[in-house]
Amino acid sequence: MPDAAVRLTGITKRFPGVVANRDVDLTIERGEVHALCGENGAGKSTLMKILYGMQRPDEGTVEIDGEQVVLRSPADAIARGIGMVHQHFKLADNLTVLENVILGAEPRRFGRIDFAAARAAIRDMSARYGLRVDPDSLVQPLGVGDRQRVEILKVLYRGAKVLILDEPTAVLVPQEVDELFANLRELRAEGLTVLFISHKLDEVLSVADAISVIRRGTTVATRLDPAEVTARRLAELMVGSELPTPELRESTVTDEVQLDVAGLTVRTPEGRAVVDDVSLRIRRGEIVGLAGVEGNGQGELIEALMGIRPAASGTIRYGGVDVTHWPTRRRREAGIAYIPEDRHRHGLVLEAPLWENRMLGHQTERPNARGPWIDRRGARRDTARIAAEYDVRTPGIDVPAGALSGGNQQKLIVGREMSGAPKLLVAAHPTRGIDVGAQAAIWDALRAARAAGLAVLLVSADLEELIGMSDTLHVILRGRLVAEVDPRSVTPEDLGSAMTGAVS
Amino acid sequence: MSKKVPAWQAVLRGLGPRGMALRIGAPVLALLISLGITMVLLRVTGADPVSSVQAMVDYGTTPNSVVDILNRATRYYLSAVAVAIGFRMALLNIGVDGQYRLAALLAAALAGALSLPAPFGQILTIVAAMVVGGLWAAIAGVLKVTRGVSEVLSTIMLNSIATGLIAYLLNPKRLAEMRPGSNNIATPQVPSSGRVGALNGALSAIGIDLPGRLYGLLPVAIVVGIVFWVVVNYTRFGFDLKVSGLAPGAAEASGVSAKKMIVVTMVTSGAIAGLIGMPELLGASYEYSLNFPAGLGFTGITVALLGRNHPLGIAFAAVLFAFLDQTSDVLQEVEVPKEIVGVMQGVVVLTVVIVYELVRRFEIRREQRAVAGELATGHDLARAGKGR
Amino acid sequence: MRRGLKVSLVALTGTALTLTAAGCGGKKAATSDQKTVKVGLAFDVGGRGDQSYNDSAARGLERVKKELKVTTEEISAKQDEPDADKESRLRLLAGKGYQMVIGIGFAYTAAVLKVAKDYPNTKFLVVDADQCKVSGANVLGACFSEEQGSYLVGAAAALKSKTGTIGFIGGVNVPLIHKFEAGYDAGAKKVKPGIKVLPGKYLTQPPNFDGFKNPALGSEAAQGQLDQGADVIYHAAGGAGLGVIKTVGAAGKWAIGVDSDQYAQPALAAVKNQILTSMVKRVDLSVYDFVKSVGDGTFKAGTKQYNLANDGVGFAVSGGHMDDIKAQLDDLKAQIVAGKIVVPTE
Repeated sequence: MPDAAVRLTGITKRFPGVVANRDVDLTIERGEVHALCGENGAGKSTLMKILYGMQRPDEGTVEIDGEQVVLRSPADAIARGIGMVHQHFKLADNLTVLENVILGAEPRRFGRIDFAAARAAIRDMSARYGLRVDPDSLVQPLGVGDRQRVEILKVLYRGAKVLILDEPTAVLVPQEVDELFANLRELRAEGLTVLFISHKLDEVLSVADAISVIRRGTTVATRLDPAEVTARRLAELMVGSELPTPELRESTVTDEVQLDVAGLTVRTPEGRAVVDDVSLRIRRGEIVGLAGVEGNGQGELIEALMGIRPAASGTIRYGGVDVTHWPTRRRREAGIAYIPEDRHRHGLVLEAPLWENRMLGHQTERPNARGPWIDRRGARRDTARIAAEYDVRTPGIDVPAGALSGGNQQKLIVGREMSGAPKLLVAAHPTRGIDVGAQAAIWDALRAARAAGLAVLLVSADLEELIGMSDTLHVILRGRLVAEVDPRSVTPEDLGSAMTGAVS
Repeated sequence: MSKKVPAWQAVLRGLGPRGMALRIGAPVLALLISLGITMVLLRVTGADPVSSVQAMVDYGTTPNSVVDILNRATRYYLSAVAVAIGFRMALLNIGVDGQYRLAALLAAALAGALSLPAPFGQILTIVAAMVVGGLWAAIAGVLKVTRGVSEVLSTIMLNSIATGLIAYLLNPKRLAEMRPGSNNIATPQVPSSGRVGALNGALSAIGIDLPGRLYGLLPVAIVVGIVFWVVVNYTRFGFDLKVSGLAPGAAEASGVSAKKMIVVTMVTSGAIAGLIGMPELLGASYEYSLNFPAGLGFTGITVALLGRNHPLGIAFAAVLFAFLDQTSDVLQEVEVPKEIVGVMQGVVVLTVVIVYELVRRFEIRREQRAVAGELATGHDLARAGKGR
Repeated sequence: MRRGLKVSLVALTGTALTLTAAGCGGKKAATSDQKTVKVGLAFDVGGRGDQSYNDSAARGLERVKKELKVTTEEISAKQDEPDADKESRLRLLAGKGYQMVIGIGFAYTAAVLKVAKDYPNTKFLVVDADQCKVSGANVLGACFSEEQGSYLVGAAAALKSKTGTIGFIGGVNVPLIHKFEAGYDAGAKKVKPGIKVLPGKYLTQPPNFDGFKNPALGSEAAQGQLDQGADVIYHAAGGAGLGVIKTVGAAGKWAIGVDSDQYAQPALAAVKNQILTSMVKRVDLSVYDFVKSVGDGTFKAGTKQYNLANDGVGFAVSGGHMDDIKAQLDDLKAQIVAGKIVVPTE
């Protein structure tokens, strides 16, 4: 029997306060696409970091091609033929594809970079694996799918025989996912091994040769055959219980318009329109979903609504009042709640205790403040209330927000934003990267607030969430609202097509 | 998992341990380590470390030295607080030096021309100095907000401009007075009605007799420290300031106007900077001359770093630096080059910064472990609240 | 010059009646011989080794040490210090029983006057006393007529210039250095009314005293004046002047030194033949005179003016480049001494 490409045995890694890897056993055969599934925070990333030399296991062994190795750094891993394509691309926009690929591993000839040799090597790899990219194009104009191919080329160029792809489909639309999977099959056909991390089960089932599931830091199932396992079974293995589903019951939509955006345009400092003539209305008791591939203006639209980014033209009317030129604080004081996309950068102060984080965004309002003074007692008491009502798992309100898990951080944010009777909620990716339990709790909170008359703008990359939680669903493409679809009848595939502009 | 704050930012913002034991333990540990290093350095330079340190302590505790140290610490303290206000929101006001010198010059010219009954002259002088310092700092703030100019660059340049401007203004044709045959140039003397008397009298009334002249405005530094503390911890402005420093993105999303905060912070920092020269001007020199102490703004940066931007920490740091500076003369007398004091100050700051960062990381790890542990044992606010 | 130049502070335990047990932290031979007279000298910013003003004071101290058999102590000043520091420095010395304390540099004036009151048995000297005014029965102020010496080297510069353009470089823009420039300018115009004296170049503005320390600044400024056609350049820039002399010397033009006879300085040996002369300011002499007068009981409080008349200032003739014009300069000197020429100070 030939040696496995990678064999992990008894891997244990302890971190303070986060899910560690416990006794992980994983075997990846040569020339297969192996999928590793698990909830966010289940320990997939840690395991991959161990395999890529970014972390060292406390216990256990790593074997590559039958040989036990100690990987001290990514450089070690690369030397052993293990390459990693990160979820977030690490490319220099103003360099060409070629330059990005060879950066840090430049072929030299007489002390100068041998671009000709590099170009030939890249052309050859592109052709062999079907990774179509022009080596001399700048990276800047490339789309997400192309960038991902550049990342894969980067890894292959360094001689990787085992590719780790960390949630490669998170940023792709369905059509791009198909292309990626075609690439992966070609890589496999060429004898390369792919380790594919995902929590999207249908994708996993369609591309993988073998599936392993990790839950709470340990492997609960290994080398499942995709032909013999259902998505439902996988899901149960991943969460250890039944999956919550995003859905709305009866409509609570009123005819009272809470937010009325008309002809809103937002420009970059260079003058490019990133939000282009957007008009939309949200009524009380209505959740309006916004679907789109990341980077099509959702973030800018939200920031314009919150007053963080100025509107170049158009109006924003809130409860009948023109708020286009109001500063952020005035909007928030008027009852616009905000769940930002990146909770670590925009939603929390990680070093500050929970009760101070409870004040964030509401630091001028009761119970947090009285006049120019902070009301410590009021803020602390209310933080305890939020923790109880929104099931924020924490030993106390004085621990820094950074010590909580992502789901509990997000529950704190949701609880905070739901306090003080908001009239409009702008929610960006409210359930991204959090565990199933927290996800269900946040959906519950949204449904309850909607029933109470809250108007919600929901931006998400999770198409199921969008379809299930929206009363109305818009599609945004290159800054324009290109379609309105009926969430009751649309399928994720159709929505994906609309998002790429394939149909309208 | 929490995102890590880069070490340099943690250092600037004065992040440190939160627990009381570590808060006190960390600086003590750092000082002991730096004392040890200093001893070794002294040994290497060929001096007897014990007797050198002994000589410093002996000299530093004489009543005359105590007064000098307190006066010096007053200047350092005000300067460090001015710097720390900026640090709190990651604004590096390198221009405190120019701000206070310009403020002192113009305030001196004003005070020299005034003859108001006490305390109006003094108050007017101090307010004028704060206004000048604040306005001068505002230039950097406005440049950053409107043009995106890094405050580090603009304040460094404003220091040079202030130096040139002072050289221009400190001239008998302008703000200085003619003193035939003098090698000095100075503004007219502040009339005695405009001066601030020494504290010695008040202190001897409560049984503390000190020689020399203790700055009459020393209490101003204490008040500044208390106000700084109250503002940072108990006001909305302080909260906004803190959040802006720790997480600018979160601050913006929460409705803090970054631009406004930058300008307000720079102006506040500059206004405090304006105070730096006041104890000396109104309590000792009574004029702005070529001999007016310069460079305090830069000392303030170090002292603020050492004091971790905390009002009390800065006070200790200011006294420590004042002690080291004061006693550097006596080191020369025992044949240790005075430069060793600069090395000692550097060692102290480095040690404190490193120890704090290590302790901070240790504490974060400990906290995360504690949170996980407490949740595992069922100590959970969410459950307790629901009465489960 | 100003405090960027030097202040030396000599403290001397004259008769050493008291056994200064406090002595020193350890290694001083303080108690070895009660008859030994101790002199302490503290410099201003820059300290010993600035090749100029501070070193001149140090030379005086060396001579005192050798000829009068005293031991000495030196303390340097810190940059940017307030008066209180100078005061405590003087107090430190006086308090340790030194019977002579010398402050070099006008910045010490106020501090000396203050501390002298508290130590009536200690004799104080302040060199370059501000406004040439001191008070107290135990204080001597030494004042120098730098403008007179500068006048003569200005005349020499004008006489030696072939291009008809000469330059002046001052360290820091302070009144003291203006005196040098004023005398230089007047002297040059006296002997050659048509001479072009470039506007004085000051290296830095107070409180930046780099202009007395940083030779690179001096070099740069000298090159600038050479480029404008100057072929004789006089500097009053302390340590920064080394850069001036080296640059001017390398260009084959005449440099004029200051404070000490810079022809004799080892650091300038390579270009010494391009040093026309130096305006000598005898800080060393004032230090020596003071210690000697205290030693032999002839100390007189008040101020003492060092000028051309008592050779407290003058010009150096090392190298022989002045031989051909010396007579002319001596004639000017005589006129100044006689009061026929009054040299401006502004």
